[in-house]
Amino acid sequence: MSNEVLVIGGGIAGIQSSLDLADMGIKVHLVEKLPSIGGKMAQLDKTFPTNDCAI
Amino acid sequence: MGAFKVTVRKKARYVEEDKCTGCGACEEKCPTIVPDAFNEGLGTRKAIYAYFAQGIPSTRTIDPDHCRQLNGKKCGICKKTCQAEAINFDQKDQILELDVAAIIVAAGYDVFDPSHIPEYRYSEIPNVVTAIEFERLLSASGPTDGHVYRPSDIAAKAKIEELEKKLNKASKTLKRYEEKFGETSEDFYKKFQSGELSDDEERKKWAAKYEEYLGISGPLAELKKQAEGFSSAKRLAFIQCVGSRDFRFYPFCSGYCCMHSIKEAIIAHEHEPETTSAIFGMDIRAVGKGFEEYRVRGGNQSGITYVRGRVAEIMEGENHNPIVIYEDTRERKVKRQEFDMVILATACAPTKGLPSLAKILGIELDDYGFVKTNPVSPVDTTVPGIYVCGCAESPMDVPESVAQASSAAERAAEVISLQSLNKESAVA
Repeated sequence: MSNEVLVIGGGIAGIQSSLDLADMGIKVHLVEKLPSIGGKMAQLDKTFPTNDCAI
Repeated sequence: MGAFKVTVRKKARYVEEDKCTGCGACEEKCPTIVPDAFNEGLGTRKAIYAYFAQGIPSTRTIDPDHCRQLNGKKCGICKKTCQAEAINFDQKDQILELDVAAIIVAAGYDVFDPSHIPEYRYSEIPNVVTAIEFERLLSASGPTDGHVYRPSDIAAKAKIEELEKKLNKASKTLKRYEEKFGETSEDFYKKFQSGELSDDEERKKWAAKYEEYLGISGPLAELKKQAEGFSSAKRLAFIQCVGSRDFRFYPFCSGYCCMHSIKEAIIAHEHEPETTSAIFGMDIRAVGKGFEEYRVRGGNQSGITYVRGRVAEIMEGENHNPIVIYEDTRERKVKRQEFDMVILATACAPTKGLPSLAKILGIELDDYGFVKTNPVSPVDTTVPGIYVCGCAESPMDVPESVAQASSAAERAAEVISLQSLNKESAVA
């Protein structure tokens, strides 16, 4: 029986899920169609309401 | 539950990940220039590239649609440049077979294409942009180094650069003729036109080149004069609910766009304190911790005016300035106002590939095309063991996406821990 998880999409949601699972010791396959992970959030300059940098 | 067989196509990068050191020398030398999707086409990249500067992995990727070598032309400059010998034009896509216990769908969303709303003239007026395009203009690592230059001005500057290159080339050729015949092109051309000179082949070519030179230098001087008046955009209009809360497109509220526009207006004001912004919306939805305070602060300190009213049309005025026509519902008057730039707060649309992904996974979508969930189990799809998070489920902002992502991870981990519990009890 498999103990691994597949995450489809490497945006902020997919990255967070993958990190949480990996922190629990579970092997994750993160699949992203673009050359880099990050998704839409990586395109943002800053985030509200704190104006923190997105990356 | 707990056993999925998955086939994944790992696309060829044409760069070997275990060898590439991420130095970027290949990218520097690559001769092919392509519009940059990460910067929404406002900047350029090479055919071998990193999707963005801090992108992970740092391994470069060759874009097979634009690479000269991969399209049968002679090139291979990146391969010659790469000291790590990481470039491999023969790399093929790999098919991976995976066995997994659970699947998390985090496929995200698409920015609504505002050209579906013809009255906003997004595809006609260069200085009407989407919120995500404006985000790239604000970014210090973006195509304008964080200066809010107008797309029409950026295009004019690019044109100037292109014409200057052409002019340079033409004047080099003219210089060769001038040295050979010992007179300036201007003098020669006057004589040539008056028929004083015999029109042999070489003189004909010289005259043609001089005509070409004049054809470039005239428009170039004109453009340069215009460019002297260019400055960053200081009068901004943000238009809310572009595609959202609109029964022609998406009836739902996309949730994050009000705050997104306020944030962009505040940041633009931080970059350039003379900036003023008008945010046009039916209402401003600042629901969340610290959001309402942020909205008020934007109005008090960052030059934002909130206008209650829906924009009917955007016209193009002089100097590519967009003119916004709207009804001010407080005064019950139809008004028009000129701006340097208009930013459209576009809807959060279900991503294009979601229907086919749903079909593969066997999960259902809701009426809008997002992944179907149940209010009491908001990350469970219609198939046990498959979970969803982020904007694939519904429009949401970053903190909500992150919260849902952790929730989906927890649900997936439950599947695995139940599996091992069952195994233990079976043994006992």
